[in-house]
Amino acid sequence: MRRLNRRQFLQKGSLAVAAAGVASAVPGVAGLLSEEAPALGPETSAGADAAVPSMSEALVARVTDASSGEIEMYFGTSSTTVRDPQLAARLVRAAQ
Amino acid sequence: MSSHREAPEISKDPVADSTDLYAFVSPENNGTVTLIANYIPLEPPDAGPNFYEFDDNVLYTINVDNNGDGIADIVYQFSFTTTLRDPSFFLYNVGPITSLSSGNWNRVQTYTLSSLDARGRVATLGTGLPCPPCNVGPLSTPDYASLAASAVSTVGNGIKAFAGQRAEGFYVDLGVVFDLGNLRPFQGDHAGWSGTGLPAMAAGVNSTKGVNVHTLALQIPMDQLTRDGRAPTSSTGTIGVWTTASRQQVRILEGGGGGPSGMVSNHGQYVQVSRLGNPLFNEVLVPLSTKDYWNAQPPSADSQFAGLVSSPQLAALLPGLFPGVFPNLAAYKKLRADLLAILLTGIPNGIVPGFPGNFTGSVQADMLRLNMTIPPTATDQASNLGVVGGDNAGFPNGRRVFDDVVTIELRAIAGLTVPLVDGSYTPDPAAGAISMGLTSGASDLTAMGTENYLDAFPYLGQPYSGYNAVV
Repeated sequence: MRRLNRRQFLQKGSLAVAAAGVASAVPGVAGLLSEEAPALGPETSAGADAAVPSMSEALVARVTDASSGEIEMYFGTSSTTVRDPQLAARLVRAAQ
Repeated sequence: MSSHREAPEISKDPVADSTDLYAFVSPENNGTVTLIANYIPLEPPDAGPNFYEFDDNVLYTINVDNNGDGIADIVYQFSFTTTLRDPSFFLYNVGPITSLSSGNWNRVQTYTLSSLDARGRVATLGTGLPCPPCNVGPLSTPDYASLAASAVSTVGNGIKAFAGQRAEGFYVDLGVVFDLGNLRPFQGDHAGWSGTGLPAMAAGVNSTKGVNVHTLALQIPMDQLTRDGRAPTSSTGTIGVWTTASRQQVRILEGGGGGPSGMVSNHGQYVQVSRLGNPLFNEVLVPLSTKDYWNAQPPSADSQFAGLVSSPQLAALLPGLFPGVFPNLAAYKKLRADLLAILLTGIPNGIVPGFPGNFTGSVQADMLRLNMTIPPTATDQASNLGVVGGDNAGFPNGRRVFDDVVTIELRAIAGLTVPLVDGSYTPDPAAGAISMGLTSGASDLTAMGTENYLDAFPYLGQPYSGYNAVV
């Protein structure tokens, strides 16, 4: 029998989702994005392929403050906030 | 209403909108407590072809605090799964649904019931538990009572569970409440009444008559709810109950290349979007600008709302709405300690003669508090006015399906319960006369027969049939 607090219980969603380990994948993704990010563009995408884990579903990112580089990410049943001014700037430029 | 459409944002998300919460010692099984949480307000019974259902993307919980800190010690979580038995067909059913396994039933919902206890232990109490279909009509669901009965599950730990459509059991005259508080029986004394040309008195209108809701119901052995795992006593017997609904933070309407057009995807952690403890708390006491914020808060943080309880806006408005009718209320300038006790801490022993109380401590939290040591009142002696009607097994000691909670709370706000904490105050006679006009008196447990309550679990009546929908 696993032990969770109430918040974790809700964050895990259904127990089936929790058992699948979807939420546990988030720290890895967050870590990747918070590292020195490669510039967007075709010249860097090939090099980045080896470091990008496979994804069973979409990751949603929201740049909440470009100046501080605050990015919120939603993946599976978890939400994570990272700070990466360079990545935030690239995302904003790409969206414009 | 009790909590139907009570906040601007949640009113746009009915499948996550809690409407009523009930907690009472089961009358037919006194070793257990029944907890009922309703969602999806004001369902028209004939709302096909997509009849109402729980949302697979909403996590529904019923929470129990057994040590008075406003934090859940036991959480019961319902998560739903919807499947189509024939995705190529265009209707809810292709013929009569005579059993839950009927191939004629196309869109089927099941649920997983899980629990989290005070030690952080998660248990799956049941998976693939069946929901009944909606009550489509006599040709589609010819023996609805049997169909619904077969959807009552006995799951782990001896808990009985039900999730599905029921007749709305809550009753209220919304027209008078929201028409500038035009309360019975003194409409003729309302400041705005002259010139309307209407008679001063008219029969009450049950605004929730003929509509359905979706019910989550549990019947739980009492010793699973106390903090020591034993039968309830005077020191362990009161629990606080509330329900919540939570959604994932991000919802994407697909169509831009990420997924198939017309589909929806959800992402991120679950956040609370609806909650309900005492009826009418958010609806009547909390300002419009704060209602959705209130929905997202835990009961343990409710001290931030205590000022709304101790100085309710409605109590200040009543003397102006009814000039000369509430003079004592108008003159009363103290904080409303009676309402703080009823809604946020429970009533201490000794406050109401003969009532051992349901006080849970100094932590202010909006929870429906039930003293489980108080046995159910026999039907022929029960009062729909609960404790204020001399019936200690009713609201605000928990809440039964037939309790006239709108009348009780309006009378309390109008000052009827002030003497419980302030012997110097004499309530205005009008405070004890307020009525929804929907029962024949305090001993009427049927709300004029419109709600079709059941004598046994899950207590709320068979849902109204789509074929016989009230026009």
